[in-house]
Amino acid sequence: MKRGEGSTKRVFHYLRAINAENIKEWKIELTYKPDFIRQFIEPFVYLFPYLLYGYALLGGRYSEHLKDMTGIGDMVAYTFIGYLFIGFLNTACWAMGFSLRKEQWYGTLETIFVAPVPRWVYVAGMALHSTCHQGLIMLIQAVVITTFFAIVLKMGGLFPALALVLLMLLGLYGLGIIVAGLTIALKQWWVVSEALSTLIVVVTPIAYPLAVLPIVLRKASMFLPTTYGIMGVRHFMLGEQLAVSLPTIFLRLAIIMVVWLTFGMATFLIMDRYGRKKGSLSVY
Amino acid sequence: MIDNGAITVEGIYKVFKKGRSDEVRAVDGISFDIKKGELFGLLGPNGAGKTTLIKCISTLLIPDSGAVRVAGYDIYREPLEVRRHIGVLTGGERSLYWKLNPVENLRYFAALYGVPRKHVGDRIDYLLELMGLTEKAGARVEKLSSGMKQKLSIARVLVHDPPILLVDEPTLGLDPYFARFIRDFVKNELNRKQGKTILLTTHYMDEADELCGRIAFMNRGRIEAMDTPVRLKRSMPQKQVLEIKCQGAIEKEIFDRVPDAAGINITHSDGFVYVRINTDNPEMILSSMIELIQQKTKIFSVRVTAPTLEDVFVDLTGASLRNGK
Repeated sequence: MKRGEGSTKRVFHYLRAINAENIKEWKIELTYKPDFIRQFIEPFVYLFPYLLYGYALLGGRYSEHLKDMTGIGDMVAYTFIGYLFIGFLNTACWAMGFSLRKEQWYGTLETIFVAPVPRWVYVAGMALHSTCHQGLIMLIQAVVITTFFAIVLKMGGLFPALALVLLMLLGLYGLGIIVAGLTIALKQWWVVSEALSTLIVVVTPIAYPLAVLPIVLRKASMFLPTTYGIMGVRHFMLGEQLAVSLPTIFLRLAIIMVVWLTFGMATFLIMDRYGRKKGSLSVY
Repeated sequence: MIDNGAITVEGIYKVFKKGRSDEVRAVDGISFDIKKGELFGLLGPNGAGKTTLIKCISTLLIPDSGAVRVAGYDIYREPLEVRRHIGVLTGGERSLYWKLNPVENLRYFAALYGVPRKHVGDRIDYLLELMGLTEKAGARVEKLSSGMKQKLSIARVLVHDPPILLVDEPTLGLDPYFARFIRDFVKNELNRKQGKTILLTTHYMDEADELCGRIAFMNRGRIEAMDTPVRLKRSMPQKQVLEIKCQGAIEKEIFDRVPDAAGINITHSDGFVYVRINTDNPEMILSSMIELIQQKTKIFSVRVTAPTLEDVFVDLTGASLRNGK
């Protein structure tokens, strides 16, 4: 009997499984058409309170104070770029974290868990699906908002911005896989997702620059991939002044990515083992 | 690697903690071997530990101690290889994606199991035809009947053509037609024709008696006896069973003072109560049994039969297969 797959064959097997998970989720999602449409409309609706609040405080869309702090005077452009990243945060905290529980609700969790792929593959498949999904929503948002508000983006900065987003996403995946691991052990797992996503939204420069945060929160934000992702993308696409150099941003983001991914995988593997010891997945 | 053994279980234990002090010994030191091509049955009431044992063998649960090898692979050190060599079929309908059609479901599982892409289409066509589902290939699973869903679940289990199948209560909740189909398919197609090794769990004694070459009686996490169905039935000290069909509530305790009644099993079916007594002398106890029952309820029929597996189980454990008490 042949013992096991070769490592190259194994990698291709896992990649294929990840893609199959992605395709399966698209197919299931498309059977719920009203909900699918809702997901494309809702992000526009949620953006407006941010903008209206800004308009009310500034008396218009331009702010000299914001320009002094960030180099960008246009509140709408500033807020909209930051707001786009909430979609990626949802990928980590909800889509990835929710992935195993979703299978449990379908009734298929144990069925897929006896397939010869590691369990993180399903979380990775959901990450791929959600990234594609959120990417599509963000693209539509970006086209509509920039057209509607006549925002001029620096298209020359697109590729370096995308490189930063890629690093940031990998870091967020580390966070997502931690949440996915915790769902194995915790019955009320959504408390973790809710708390994490809320905390990250507060300390991430989505609608305001980091300079307005209390020093403790500002320090905390330095450990989050979204902080560098948003700052870097604003810099490349709108010309935001950076408090640190670009190479520093890339370097810190790369370190954060490695740390979160490593910590995430370790947490997931420990929790998976814990779940198989305790039988916790069958309990809920 | 073991050449002849498809599944080897050596002294495995699995204890679940319930609260701070309580614990349930779901699997309590079980050992057995299943040879290649064998159809082996685990027969026991609900809560006997059958499903926990299947979950340990299929790497869904980690046993507290003991050793398990499947197709020569160790479940602790080589779980992916174990999973590559098994197919796990459970009762119930929720092991498929109801919003997808049969082809989409099978494609997904073929990818998970690493079935070569060039073979996937042919394999799916073959399995759908084998299960009589070709005409339903494009229909969403949610539109299929329970029996068809279970047929599709079998196709899913076979998508990577595993040599070993773990089949957990395969006819649970199915109507008699589909239950018959599944039993015939498991025995004739999967075991006899395709030569697959099958570990089947059930609490239906007829199913185990009909399908399995060997049976292990499981109760409260332990194996009480293990042999062929014929030998198990022959092993009964009492060679006859007195069966009284009646209606109404009957307590086992009323028969406590009947001599020569070794094991008493009371079951309910189709609105009737069946009192089965293992005995060597049905004639001797008949009158006292009838008298006791007639004090409580009406008797419809009385007959003497050969022992079934359930009678053996009752004799060994004092528990019923249907309620585990």
